[in-house]
Amino acid sequence: MKRALKKYRAPYLFILPFFILFFVFQLVPTIWTFYISLTNWKGLGTPEFCGFDNYRTLFVDNMFWDSFRNTVIYWISGFVFIILLAILIAVLLNSEKLKGKVFYKTVTFLPYVCASIAVGLIFRMLFDERSGLINEFLASLGQKRIGWLTDMSFSKVPVIILYVWRNTPWYTMIIFSGLLNISRDYYEAATVDGAGVWKQFWFITLPSLKNILFFCSITLTVDSWKMFNESYILPGPGTSNMSLFQYMYQSGFSIFKMGYASAIGVILIIILGMISFVQFSVRKKQMAL
Amino acid sequence: MKRKLAVLLSAVMAGSVLLGGCGTTGDMQKSTGSTGSAASKTTASQTKSSGTTAAGSKQVYPAGTITIYGTGQPQYLKEYFDAWLDRNRDIAPDVKIEIVQTESYAKSREKISMTSVSGKAEDLPDATYLDPVNIMDLSQAGLLKDETEYLKPFVSQMVDGAATDATVSGKTYGLPSSVRPNVLFYNKAIFDKYGIDPATMNTFDGYIKAGEDLKAKSSGTVYLSYISPSSKTWRYWGRRGMMPQANAKIWDDSGNVVIGQDAGTKLALGTLDKMYKEGLLLKSEIMEPALYDAINSQQVATFYIGAFWDEFLRKNCQKTSGQWRVMSSPVFDSVGKAGAPVSLYFCIVNKGKNVYAGLLEKMWHDFHFDTKSRNEWVDSMEKQNAPYANPISLEMLKDEFWTKPSDYYGGQSFRKAEGDCLKNSAANLVITPQDAEADTIISTELEAYIAGNQTLDQAIANMDKNLKSKIGKAKIIK
Repeated sequence: MKRALKKYRAPYLFILPFFILFFVFQLVPTIWTFYISLTNWKGLGTPEFCGFDNYRTLFVDNMFWDSFRNTVIYWISGFVFIILLAILIAVLLNSEKLKGKVFYKTVTFLPYVCASIAVGLIFRMLFDERSGLINEFLASLGQKRIGWLTDMSFSKVPVIILYVWRNTPWYTMIIFSGLLNISRDYYEAATVDGAGVWKQFWFITLPSLKNILFFCSITLTVDSWKMFNESYILPGPGTSNMSLFQYMYQSGFSIFKMGYASAIGVILIIILGMISFVQFSVRKKQMAL
Repeated sequence: MKRKLAVLLSAVMAGSVLLGGCGTTGDMQKSTGSTGSAASKTTASQTKSSGTTAAGSKQVYPAGTITIYGTGQPQYLKEYFDAWLDRNRDIAPDVKIEIVQTESYAKSREKISMTSVSGKAEDLPDATYLDPVNIMDLSQAGLLKDETEYLKPFVSQMVDGAATDATVSGKTYGLPSSVRPNVLFYNKAIFDKYGIDPATMNTFDGYIKAGEDLKAKSSGTVYLSYISPSSKTWRYWGRRGMMPQANAKIWDDSGNVVIGQDAGTKLALGTLDKMYKEGLLLKSEIMEPALYDAINSQQVATFYIGAFWDEFLRKNCQKTSGQWRVMSSPVFDSVGKAGAPVSLYFCIVNKGKNVYAGLLEKMWHDFHFDTKSRNEWVDSMEKQNAPYANPISLEMLKDEFWTKPSDYYGGQSFRKAEGDCLKNSAANLVITPQDAEADTIISTELEAYIAGNQTLDQAIANMDKNLKSKIGKAKIIK
């Protein structure tokens, strides 16, 4: 051990800053969260131990289950729409026939660099039931105005649209970088063999992007379960579109039930851990095949 | 050599990461010494001010910036405080005021609590405006200064009950800032147009009848009032509005949840349900452009809300200037009480060494008892369509300035009306430390009801069930 440490002193020192940051800002707070979840701490004073009371309350809390359900919907819809749109846009950007690529790349990335709260406020105006542009457009087509943010059935829609609109550019750039690494020779050979656009996409592009898509799926899963800005700035009635992260924030910093909020945080850690485990297991099996 | 250099750089980086988080706690603020060890100097000056010490020398406050948190449009108060500081440069030669606007009193409490938890006492504000619900938590955490002794000589000079809602376990944690009643704003032009007598709205039955008449005569284009799809319905129609007037209860005297069985709750929320079901209420978020557009188009006839709504009407609905009037809230026949007063408090934050506590108390005193400076400020606010409340000082209220007619209210004196509407006021709901959470639970069910996902009976039943499962029992602090 000592000899190894002496021999690899330089590499260990190189990776030390990361581990210090990880320890101080991630590991210790995570352990602290577990501890606080077993107390009824209000953020001030000394935490009082209460065992698993917070978890027992969680399981009968309708607001928790509503926000959990909402987050699952955001995750699945975000996953589907973002990945599909990102692949489509990336393939279009990578097309040899596209003129003015620099312009289109810039425009594509713009939504990601806009401040989410500012854009959210604009979306709130767009989706306003009485004076929003979306309803004005629907009214011009002879359709009924929709209570986007006042109707529990529709309140998730603006949130999903904002979330997809803002995050697609990031994943587009990641997938685009993956496409750049695919050699043109494959496509030329496929063309010579008579493969059309769709077959080239299905048998060359997608398999070559597997690792990139796997990375995107992990990142998107974590991002979706941590969604806060979009649902916070576009609130619907009750908990109709509240995300789990937002409910955790509300419990901790609006109501000051830090213990309860920490319990929600622990549940989030477990859920994300389980999903990541499944994703990695599936990927491992695919690679083994 | 290169390897040694790389190792050295890595060690420096690791060391700086460790030190980076530890370096600032003990730092003293240099120029903005709002806390810290800067002792205030005393001088032998004989110049009169409201803060002359017993020995005849004045306390001079150190240079720095006083930070105050406020909600609504608190920036207008800065005009008064800046003018006050200019008049009192002998005791505060280099003191400035900074007003930080927060979204709500709950947000102010949130910011203060988070700053306190982080251990950075010097980043706490020097004072904050708070409502009674948020005073409860912060006072119990020891974050608010006890003003009981300071306020004692002034209590008899203030309107009834001014300090009551800031008193927790016999101690008062806030200096009364305003006591504003829940009133009824009505657009007289709309009522004249449809031939409806506004005086019939002195009871809730009459209020609903007026709404029905408006709807019929305007073919549904004019609404009696509004309903917010968010938490503001509970806040303005419920907690501050009809619940106190109906003598409703969330908790009984022992803190048990009783909202599900309480007759007052059924009366209050049932009245709201009747108005909403009959289509008398425009569903539109309050304090948003869409509602202001509707007001300016004469589509909304009344507002049953706190007197603070005056500042929003004057600011955003100048098109209807001259049309509005104010009257006392409708009453429930079986209870007979008018709108409950909403009290706001100016709380000095207990940050260990708040060197400006005395200065803030002086500023508060003059704002509420110095008629001349207060009236000048109010005149300026009126010119800017900015907010101001009636004074809490009985002596100041006697001044004819506070009966001046208002052009916006068609010659009616809003100031006098606000004072008159404090008469026969209902008592507020009992405040408990669990109220912030209870409000969230109750509002969630009410919002689901407004969205059409459940009936009112279901909403009340769910409120009761969820309050019992999540909170259980509230702590009643006398």
